[in-house]
Amino acid sequence: MELTDIIFYIFALVTIGSAMIVVFSRNLVYSAFSLMFTFLGVAGLYVLLLADFLAVTQLMIYVGGILVLMIFGVMLTHRVVNVEISSGAMRVIPATIVVGVFLGTLLLVLTRTKWMVMEGSPDVIGTTSMIGTALVTDYLLPFEVSGVVLLVAIVAAAFMARKR
Amino acid sequence: MNEIIQSSLSLLWPELTLTVTFILTLFSQFALRKAPMHSGYVALAGFLLAFLLLGTQGGSDASVFGVMLAVDPFAVFFKYLIIISGILVLGFSLQSEEIRNNAEHAGEYFAFLTSMTLGMFLMAGASNLLMMYLSIELVSLSSYVLSGYLRNVERSNEAALKYVIFGAVSSGLMLYGISLIYGLTGALDIYSMRDVLATGAVMPGSWAFATLVAAVILIIGGFGYKISAVPFHYWTPDVYEGAPITITAYLSVASKAAGFAIMIRFFKVAFLNTVSADGAWEVLAGMNWELIIAVISVLTMTLGNLVALWQDNLKRMLAYSSIAHAGYMLMGLVVATDNGIAAIMVYFVMYLIMNLGAFYVVMVVAQKTGSEDIDDYRGLAYRAPWVAGAMAIFLVSLTGLPPTAGFIGKLWIFAAVLSKPGFVWLAIIGVINSVISLYYYARVFRNMYLRQGDEEKAQPILFGSRTIAGSLIFAVPTIVFGLYFGPILEWAKNSVTLFLR
Amino acid sequence: MLSINYYLILSAVLFTIGVVGVLTRRNAILIFMCIELMLNSVNLTLVAFSAYLGNVEGQVLVFFVMAVAAAEAAVGLAIVLALFRNHVTVNLDEINILKW
Repeated sequence: MELTDIIFYIFALVTIGSAMIVVFSRNLVYSAFSLMFTFLGVAGLYVLLLADFLAVTQLMIYVGGILVLMIFGVMLTHRVVNVEISSGAMRVIPATIVVGVFLGTLLLVLTRTKWMVMEGSPDVIGTTSMIGTALVTDYLLPFEVSGVVLLVAIVAAAFMARKR
Repeated sequence: MNEIIQSSLSLLWPELTLTVTFILTLFSQFALRKAPMHSGYVALAGFLLAFLLLGTQGGSDASVFGVMLAVDPFAVFFKYLIIISGILVLGFSLQSEEIRNNAEHAGEYFAFLTSMTLGMFLMAGASNLLMMYLSIELVSLSSYVLSGYLRNVERSNEAALKYVIFGAVSSGLMLYGISLIYGLTGALDIYSMRDVLATGAVMPGSWAFATLVAAVILIIGGFGYKISAVPFHYWTPDVYEGAPITITAYLSVASKAAGFAIMIRFFKVAFLNTVSADGAWEVLAGMNWELIIAVISVLTMTLGNLVALWQDNLKRMLAYSSIAHAGYMLMGLVVATDNGIAAIMVYFVMYLIMNLGAFYVVMVVAQKTGSEDIDDYRGLAYRAPWVAGAMAIFLVSLTGLPPTAGFIGKLWIFAAVLSKPGFVWLAIIGVINSVISLYYYARVFRNMYLRQGDEEKAQPILFGSRTIAGSLIFAVPTIVFGLYFGPILEWAKNSVTLFLR
Repeated sequence: MLSINYYLILSAVLFTIGVVGVLTRRNAILIFMCIELMLNSVNLTLVAFSAYLGNVEGQVLVFFVMAVAAAEAAVGLAIVLALFRNHVTVNLDEINILKW
């Protein structure tokens, strides 16, 4: 059992464990904080997959941006009177059906497929320059369009969240 | 690199115009503080310019920015549909009370309409899975905020929230499908996807094929959400009822058109081997997705028509009716022929006129009477004869009876379905569904002409000449295109060409 | 290196946990968190394929998905805030003016 395998199992456990807490916890703040651990776990997995740029971007955008936004949302929308921030009951039957059918099919199909994997292990090179070059050559149009998407999002969020 | 950028941009004048219009409209509200609704005229000017510049794209059959975006007759046809409905909806918005009551933010309203139109233009041409995702998200984000535009109205907030949740989940499903296709083919554009599939790397019967099927079903989740196909339609009634009526009208026509464009392009290009002489598609071995789409089409038609039967709110009824119409149009995709696609395109032209007309009448009646309930349409024929007459024409057309445009649309779809052997059962289900739909359209018609309202609701409604002219703009073509549809048919048949590399 | 199946199983399980969350929980913000779980699992799948196929395109797609996910989260939470101001609740069971 190599060291990288052990690290993989640790990060996988962190990710899945905290994801379970996010979904099944009764307390909204606990869910928000374990979401942070999910994001950290995924960032660690990116490093294992030699995607250094994305690992750092994951930390900056997801933990530093989206998670902070979620916590603001939780804090701004709970009733001030309640001390315990509860998030309601759950329905078990749809959950079991989804787990059974959907996950079962996916696992069966994904593990049996012979993917076109390349031989040997990839070189440990930085991906930042490759991604950067791709963004301004092959992917120039999506890059510009995502600029428009972000502008729309900023104006939309500001518009919706303002006081009357 | 410079040459690629220059040659690509020279084919994208309408998109560039819309981007500039978006920014100008957004900032115009600072200059127009005294008359905020006038930012709508800025948007209208931009849309008209984009409409004229669409002419520069006509006749091209190329791909820009590598293979990101295709500029071909197929895309241009749908862009015309989108921009025309955009211009008409801008006209509605300038007359709409709902928007005028929230006029301080009208600049943002018109700006989001412009960004939504830009997204739909990109959807019509997208030929790379990343571009498809980005353009769908651009349209979706603009639609979320537009459906929640009436921030003080509860049902508008609720509509926006349900729309966001459902849209985000659907795009998550679609992305998972895209990631599996990336894993199978190593590329993100649909041309490379077709090339890899053509080499036989994914044999039918292998596990890789099962993954491909799973991936395509997940991607259908994303497309199906955009066109409101069952079982991805749950957002449609709530959003259509809660959003401002101008947005409902736009979503029901243009957003659906863009969704169909992207879906047809994906299915035709990614799985096509050749097109035979009479226009039938020969798909790559084993990729018989027709059955999946046939099932979706039947479910969509039937559910849309059946649930529309017990609606009391006209906006909600029109929402279910538009779900049913998407089901009819999917029949054209099931048969996998160029005739089927031309039939869908003709149907869209007719659907644009009659659906926008119907929503226009609902808007003006709601503004004068304050109600959208079908019961409150009783006696409308005596209170407002011109408007009720227009509505009657739209109802007849939506059912699909001659001599209206709706009849021609359905006729061509059925003709395309029957021209390919083995799909008679589909056409029969379509006819049965049209008969079911007659009942709920006729209910409105009966209320308008054969019932009288209560005393205080029996006063005549005075509609201005602008309103009457507006309803005639839709009513007259509905009859005219029902009788003289040759040019539209020609235009559709000539626009079926997709850029195939 | 581990075979790619480990990463695919992990992301499939993560995706399903997210879907289960969306279907069963009633708090709007919690549903957004589950949507982020789904998007993270998609990103993980893409990065895994990118590493094992030797292709950087998957990572470029992840970059865009992250950007759009952030945009969607911002707009979604703004809508939740607007709803909360009108209703003082974000529980989907209590918000149901629009019925069948």
